[in-house]
Amino acid sequence: MRLQAALFFAACLSPAAAIYNDEVNHIDFHHALLGSPSPDSTFFLKPSSTSNASLLYTISDKLLVGAINPRDGALLWRQNLSRSADSPPRGGLLRGVDGNDAVVGAAGNYISSWSAQDGKLAWENRFSEGVVADLELLELEDATATPGVRDTIVVVGSEVSGIVRRLDGDSGSTKWEYKEDSGDIPFQVSSSPTEIFYISLQSALLKGYKIKVTVLDPVTGKQVRQQVLSSESDVATPESVLFVGANIASPIIVWTDKSQKSLKVNVIGTKEINSVAIDNTSGSEIRKITVHAAHKLNALPHFLVHYATEAGAWAEVYHVDMKSSKVTKAYQLPYLPGQSVFATSVIDANVYFTRVTDSEAIVVSSASHGILGRWNLPKSSSDAALHAVSDLVTREKSVAVRSAVFSEHGDWQLIRNGQIEWTRNEGLIDAVAATWAEIDAQEGLAHELEVEGHDTIYGAYVHRVKRHVRDLQYLPDWLKHIPGRILSSILSDEVTNLDSFGLATPVIVATKNGRVYALDTGNHGAVLWSVQAVETSQWDVKAILTSPGTATIYPNDGSSVTLNVSTGDIISRTASSDSKLRSIAVFGSQETSSLNTVGVREDGSPVTAFDEVNGFLVTTSADSRVLGWIAKDNKSPVWEFVPPSGQKVIHATARPAHDPVASIGKVLGDRSVLYKYLNTNLALVTAVNEKTNTASFYLLDGVSGKVLHATTQSGVDTTQPIASAMSENWFAYSFWGDVGSNESSAKGYQLVISELYESPFPNDRGPLDSASNYSSLHSSIESPPLPHVISQAFMIPEPISHMTVTQTRQGITTRQLLCTLPSSNSIIGIPRPVLDPRRPVDRDATAAEAEEGLFRYAPYLDFDGKWYLSHARDVAGIKEVLSRPTLLESTSLIFAFGGDIYGTRATPSQAFDVLGKSFSKLQLVLTVVALGVGVAVLAPMTRRKQVNALWKAT
Amino acid sequence: MHLSLSSLLLLGISSLVSSSSLTISIPVSSPLPNPHVLPATTHATLTTLPFSGKDHILSASLTRSASFVFHDLPSSSPDAQPESYLLDIRSAGEYVFAPYRVDVAADGTILGVWETFRGNPWDNRGAVKYIVDVAAKKQVDVVVEAKVIARRAFYEERAKFSPLSLVKNPMILLAIVAMGLMFGMPKLMENMDPEMRAEFEQHSRSSPISGATNNAMAGGGFDLAGWMAGTSANPTANTDAAQSGATGRDTSGPARRRG
Repeated sequence: MRLQAALFFAACLSPAAAIYNDEVNHIDFHHALLGSPSPDSTFFLKPSSTSNASLLYTISDKLLVGAINPRDGALLWRQNLSRSADSPPRGGLLRGVDGNDAVVGAAGNYISSWSAQDGKLAWENRFSEGVVADLELLELEDATATPGVRDTIVVVGSEVSGIVRRLDGDSGSTKWEYKEDSGDIPFQVSSSPTEIFYISLQSALLKGYKIKVTVLDPVTGKQVRQQVLSSESDVATPESVLFVGANIASPIIVWTDKSQKSLKVNVIGTKEINSVAIDNTSGSEIRKITVHAAHKLNALPHFLVHYATEAGAWAEVYHVDMKSSKVTKAYQLPYLPGQSVFATSVIDANVYFTRVTDSEAIVVSSASHGILGRWNLPKSSSDAALHAVSDLVTREKSVAVRSAVFSEHGDWQLIRNGQIEWTRNEGLIDAVAATWAEIDAQEGLAHELEVEGHDTIYGAYVHRVKRHVRDLQYLPDWLKHIPGRILSSILSDEVTNLDSFGLATPVIVATKNGRVYALDTGNHGAVLWSVQAVETSQWDVKAILTSPGTATIYPNDGSSVTLNVSTGDIISRTASSDSKLRSIAVFGSQETSSLNTVGVREDGSPVTAFDEVNGFLVTTSADSRVLGWIAKDNKSPVWEFVPPSGQKVIHATARPAHDPVASIGKVLGDRSVLYKYLNTNLALVTAVNEKTNTASFYLLDGVSGKVLHATTQSGVDTTQPIASAMSENWFAYSFWGDVGSNESSAKGYQLVISELYESPFPNDRGPLDSASNYSSLHSSIESPPLPHVISQAFMIPEPISHMTVTQTRQGITTRQLLCTLPSSNSIIGIPRPVLDPRRPVDRDATAAEAEEGLFRYAPYLDFDGKWYLSHARDVAGIKEVLSRPTLLESTSLIFAFGGDIYGTRATPSQAFDVLGKSFSKLQLVLTVVALGVGVAVLAPMTRRKQVNALWKAT
Repeated sequence: MHLSLSSLLLLGISSLVSSSSLTISIPVSSPLPNPHVLPATTHATLTTLPFSGKDHILSASLTRSASFVFHDLPSSSPDAQPESYLLDIRSAGEYVFAPYRVDVAADGTILGVWETFRGNPWDNRGAVKYIVDVAAKKQVDVVVEAKVIARRAFYEERAKFSPLSLVKNPMILLAIVAMGLMFGMPKLMENMDPEMRAEFEQHSRSSPISGATNNAMAGGGFDLAGWMAGTSANPTANTDAAQSGATGRDTSGPARRRG
């Protein structure tokens, strides 16, 4: 009952400013990302036996299994396997076969089958014996099996043993199991129509590995025979085996000798090793050999070997004679400079190979070298393609092909008949830092005005006249655009073009692997440019500073890279320093308007003494201390805050750099004023004690280091995220709170909001009242005065992993507490009026309180659907949310990154300074026209009447 | 409860492998007529405080049969306390599920499943969904039904432009009535019986209101309609003219105009 009451109260709240249905995709954009697709676990597959269209399936390096619509690149569903896998896996595996309506994925010791159509779980299994080394779906159909369901063969390997299991396609239960305790390395599994092959690597006496093939009966799992291939001189590591043919009519094992002079091919199940000489005419060393073969039982036993050198690539196609198990070379695809990628597709029994090079895409049949289709590709970037999959359609004599090509810099493109259909920027999943760029459009004008300001009156006048005459050259253009602008403003969605109000500023995103992207927030977050700023895989960016036209990125090694925000060109770099930085502090210097940075070391000390005269710096150190520093001294801190023993500082937050306060007090219902405790130097420190499950929150004064307020929560799960945010005169934090020894307290996620006032009494400023001057360091009064803190706690339905506050230009608009909800993949903006700690408890609000906007406190705060900034979108993996003011007071820009990329606008008090979509210009024009017509019709009538009246009067 | 607990613990020791599974099925309900429309990201979680190194957050994905299955609930040493979990079902979409309380014994068997209320004491248990039956020995697999309590509305409805809403506007209604009178009255008068007409005219003339209106229309003040119609370039001249002719029109004006 109480729950319903709470729900009722939540429903009664006035919706802050929810998104309109037609604003979706207009004010927001979302890149649903997967990460780099794994080369051997990406494929086109028909999701069910009844459907004709196939989808693109993959498992990424982030262990996300996903299905993509090849038509537009939209993500249909995805599942994160890394959450379920216990042991850190080396990579994921994903398999699917035509005729099975589910795909099977494995990561670590976890294997699961997902419905191919909608991504729902069919079954899952965890193996205690070890991790999944390989898995295959059995293509052969049992007479007993239900249609659309295929069994899975999985190899589970540990240090000492390898287990082959056949899992039921419906339930995932084990049908049979074959165990081998020989200590061989479990390698792969493969199947032919009649047999299952378990391939393991047996260490040879001296060095290298022998390939051991165990043939199993698919029905019983009993060992039929076993063969050991003497490959120890060639196979030094498991990586030396290039290919184990999975699920083809005559599966093969391919490896090369050490000098890469000849290719060794074994048809699995036979003892014979075919040796084929590699015909290297390119003259340079072979860097990589890849084998491509069909993954279908009824396909022709043909395969392609792709040889890549530093500068180019060629490929050779081989045929396997099923009867004699001999391998013969059929033809060669010539050496071409530049990178090539190959993909295999099967139609009926025919095998086709697609070659995508930098300039063209060609399709050949495996039977002959005649080119079936050739398309020129649009001029591509310098990106080298890594791997591709393709889907082929044949009609009479022509073929149509679409290939999904993944390139080195994280772009996944679908090329259909030589046209790029879509590009997914999967590299953005690694975003570590982002900020809005500043465009230098107005800089020229600012400079001219400065010249005028410093000239004599006459000189300035002449300069201005000249400037205006110069500006006349733009007049014809401007006039030409007027009709178009009027038309578009009537027809367009938005009444005014808001781009000039700073709503379409590009966002600069830096990723972990050293790439920098610029996203156009005005154009669905499209990538404007992307550059490789640094060659690294661990780029820990601490700060990005922007000035008009440029952006400077500061990673943790003390170096910096400055880029041009409109082109992405690297303007300058600075070398790295020796010490590793913990964080980077940014402050505005006094003389110029530019921002400066100072690095903070792991021990919390600034790298250099900063020159800011009145500045101070609060840092946290790796050993859980909070330190305060003043200018010109980076040796000894002014103050030091050490939490009680056993506590560890996990987070510290301060008011945002841009945090304007519209009113210094809160007007109460009786017209008295409660003065806000406004201190720009506040820092909120979160410390946890993992042993006693407590979390403490300390509010510090940054100048003096004094603890202004402290609170401790018990029963806190310190392993779950504890988020906090601060703004104006309030702060909020959330955590998982559990019951104590008795069960009278509540269990669940909690959100605590605290407001700071100068005094508990209205119209009273406490000790500050009589003070004419106030400094927190040198003061006659108690320094600084303690705030009066009012807090209220709410139970919330979900964990919050990150908190921030919306920022607007003047701070007049009510603020929203932006919370990232990791378990429902959403971003929510809770309106501040709801989180008012002065809400009356256990009674209804009096008339005066209701006038203030207060209403009765309910312990449970349900998240209203209208608060969801991400509405129905599935915004996963968000690590950080940024907010930025625009030139419109009503609007705040929101950008979220860390997994997916999501950007939107928040209007916490409705878009009061914009004519929205509901304002119809067309309607206005029509009304004016209708009135005009009315006047035109009525005027002659009135005139006639009056004339008649005058005539008839006399 | 304590008695049942200890007997259960004994049971757990004797049966050894008894870690049970918990299945939560989603029934057809009025907020959610088709449970299969739930997005694939829907999942159920069991959460409690970390204890003795066991998983304290368990998660289960939505299955094809619109249910969640927790295999192998964690079991710890037999002398440990039973653990009490909060069961949440969250969906990236609109559906809101009721939270449940799940008590799991140290050996991994489920002691009970109750509905719970957020923002209430943990011991305030609601409807019993499942309770262990000590007499019937062990039941390892528990199936409970989830409860959908609400559906979230994410979007604001935009007021649609419709001609009907325009007509509903009182200003427009007034204008339409006025127009109707203006055009309809002369027609009505024409069709009227001559005697009736004469009577009506007599009546309207004697009526003080209409007389005043007529006065105002014809005589006094600035003739806006006339000015707008362009009958006189100079409004003051028009007024003068109207005043000069006022004497003759005072009595007979309206009758003539209607005539």
